[in-house]
Formats: sequence, C-alpha cells, structure tokens
Amino acid sequence: MSLTPEGSPVVEAAAGIEHIDGLFSYALVLTRNRSEAEDLVQETYVRAIRAMGSLRIGSNVKGWLFTILRNIWFNQLRHRRTAKVVAMDGEENAVDFADTAKDPYAFYVSKMEHQQVREAIQRLPADFREVILLREFEELSYQEIATILDCPAGTVMSRLARARTKLRTLLSAAFKTSDFARKEVME
Amino acid sequence: MNSDDEHSHNVSLHLDNELSDQELEDFRAHLADCADCKSQLEEEQALADLLHRSRPLYRASDELRARVIAAQDVSVSGHVPERLHRRVLRLLKQSMGPGELTAFPWRAVATIAFVFVLGMVFVPTIARHARAASYVDTALTTHRNYLDGKLPLEINSESPEEVTAWFAGKVPFDFRLPTSQLLPNDQPAYRQVGARLVSYGNSYAALVSFAMKNDRISLLVASSKSAEAYGGEEIVSRGLTFHYQTKGGFNVITWTTHGLTYALVSSLHTSASRSCLVCHQNMADKGEFREQ
Repeated sequence: MSLTPEGSPVVEAAAGIEHIDGLFSYALVLTRNRSEAEDLVQETYVRAIRAMGSLRIGSNVKGWLFTILRNIWFNQLRHRRTAKVVAMDGEENAVDFADTAKDPYAFYVSKMEHQQVREAIQRLPADFREVILLREFEELSYQEIATILDCPAGTVMSRLARARTKLRTLLSAAFKTSDFARKEVME
Repeated sequence: MNSDDEHSHNVSLHLDNELSDQELEDFRAHLADCADCKSQLEEEQALADLLHRSRPLYRASDELRARVIAAQDVSVSGHVPERLHRRVLRLLKQSMGPGELTAFPWRAVATIAFVFVLGMVFVPTIARHARAASYVDTALTTHRNYLDGKLPLEINSESPEEVTAWFAGKVPFDFRLPTSQLLPNDQPAYRQVGARLVSYGNSYAALVSFAMKNDRISLLVASSKSAEAYGGEEIVSRGLTFHYQTKGGFNVITWTTHGLTYALVSSLHTSASRSCLVCHQNMADKGEFREQ
C-alpha cells in the first residue's frame, strides 16, 4: 500500500499483505479463536482499502492496520458483550519449522519452546497479551503501541513491565528446557 | 521514582531501544558498576531472546492470504463509483465559486448536466478499466505468491486433459486451456507443471503453471463475466485481441475467448509480440506474432 506524491492512494494487489502474519497473530491474541481471527484479518484489509483515502504521505501503514483490526474487534465485542473463548486447533500446522528441520533435535526443542511461548502468552490477561505481541513480535515503539491502544505511552511502559514479569514466571519451564537443550547440544 | 526504580526502568527502555543517546551513554556507564542492573538486563534479555526466537507467533494460512486478496479485489472494484463521485464533486467545486450554486442556479444545473453526460460517456470505460486492472493485479499477485511458494500447486501434471478434468466442477465455468497447433515434428517451448484453485472475487479462478527453462509462467483463467481483458498494447491474432502490459517487472497478456478471460504472467524480458513468440515459436500461428 503506498501513496503517490499528490497524496492519492495507489491501489496495489494485496496491499499491506506483508503484515498479514503479524495481523493474524494479533487477531489470535485478541480473539483466541482461529476462525474469528481469520475473519477479523479479512475485515481489516477490506476496511483498510476503503479508508485508504484518509491516509497521508508518510503515514505509519503498519500501525494503522493494527489500529483498524483492534477497533473492529472491540466494536464486535461491544455488540456481543462477551467474547467466546474457544480452544485453538491445528496449531502445529500454523508455523513453518522448515528452517530447523535439518536438525531433528533442534527442531524438537524449537517446536516445544514455541509451543510454550504461545501457551504462556495466551494465559496472560488480554491487555498484557496485546502489549507483548505489539512490542516483542511486531517491534512497535511505545508511542506506536500507545496510538493503537489509545492510551498514554507511560501506560504502555508500565503494562509491558508487568506483562514481562508475569510472562517470565509462566515461561520459567521454557527457560529450563532451553538451557538444558543448549547444554546437551554443546556437550 | 527512586534511583533503583529509575535504573530498573532504564533496563526495559534500553532493551526496547527507547533511550536517547545521552540516556544510553549514562545507562552504560551505570551498568559497568551495578551488578543488580546487569543481572536484571541479562534476565530481560533472555526473555526477549526466547520471544524473538518464536517469531512469528502465528502464521496466516494460504487460504487466509487468498481470502484477503479476493476481498481486496472486490473492495477495489467497489471503490470506483466512490472515486468518481469525489471527482464529480471536485469538478463541481472548480466550476463554481463559493455561493455560486445558490446565486446562479441555471449555471449550476448546466454544469451538473454536463458532468452527468460526461459520466454517462466515461463511467462504462472507467468501470471496464477497473475490472481489467483488478484482474491483472490478481494474476500478478497470484503469480508472485506462487513463485514465493505461498500457493503450492494442488495437482502436478503435464497433461492438459488431466488438468482440465481436475477443474471440472471446481470452477464456476467450463474450464478450457488455450490451444495452438504445433508445427509437424515440433515440441512446445513450454511445459505444463500443474494447477490449483485460487480465489477471485466471490468465486474461484483456475491457475495453471508452466515452466520454460528456468522461467515460470502462470495462466489465470476466470469467467469473462467477472474478469475483463482490456487496455495495454493490443495485438490482434486470428480474431482474438491480446492485451499486453508490463507491470511490477512482469509481462502480462490478457485475452477473452469462449466466455473465459485468460491472464498470462511471465518474467520474459521482451516486447509484446516477441513475448507471444517465445511460447508460439514452434506453433503454426507463429507468423501472427511477428514484430510489428
């Protein structure tokens, strides 16, 4: 998705498609339901295309897409009042482990570690899940996250600190696994 | 915030690249003398490393990618009237100064009538352009995604008959591959590799992949009710009009026949006529594609 010097949007096929994994992860972190997350991502792109005229040159397209996704989700929640929490299925197929597949042991450790990370994140409260995803996985700045969450940057900082403390506790087992695996590989 | 809290706070800011140059320098100086902060930094770094190794947290499926592309396609097509509406409003604003609409109603009516007539003349053309551009964009995105391994083939076959039979009942049209008569004792310059379904609009289109030496060629086939071949450089051959254009570094040729619209995407670096000739070099109709 890009803008011409005159500021009019240029429609390219699959505009912003490079952010689809990030948006899908964010949608899953919010909804905790695969099918809802997919619908949310699709709706985000549809709304983005329609609203492209409001974008200005130099706009943060990535942050904008995440904001759209979040707004859609919270609007839906307001209508439904309660969000359904359904266990996710087929997670093993969701991530491509091809890079580590050359070493079966490393692959196993990596897969186990990845699974532990996902489970730990999904066990966090919703507002913690969001900041962790946006900062650690999407590498957005405090200010960008604050814009998406519509809160002060100071709130992002404190929320992130508390989320990390909680996540570290939840992931203590993963740390042990990683350390053990690394030692074994080195020996 | 006391001094300890501030340093602890700076550990996070440091990891998140949120410290200014001066703050970073001060923090590094502090870190050299503070075992507690150093230990906290290592702990935080270990957590960050673990999370970063798990990127992306989830990966969108091919089906979702296809759905998004299809949804955007529909959205873009639906955008044309809105843009036209804006253009009409701008024209109206330019042709009338502020307040003129109420002060000179007959002039306003005449302007609106003029714009309306212009619209009647150009709207079908604009809509046709938009549909054709949308189909070309879909063909390009599909080709790119196929090259990137995001759209694996669902059937691997060199047999046109087998691929045609595979699409039967899967696409909402009578799929047929374009044909061209080979010269006696000659082989086609390309080889069919396989095919798959792809989303297009609210329905499906057929993607057929061909290989020619190291190049890959994609052929997207959709019903001419939903896909248009229009614009670009036109080449007429045997009663068919081929529309050639270069977009995003790829050559795209579109044409319509038998109620189907075809879009052929390749990376061949040559002109329109010669691009056709690359595949038709051993065909009986190669004379139709001589450089004009």
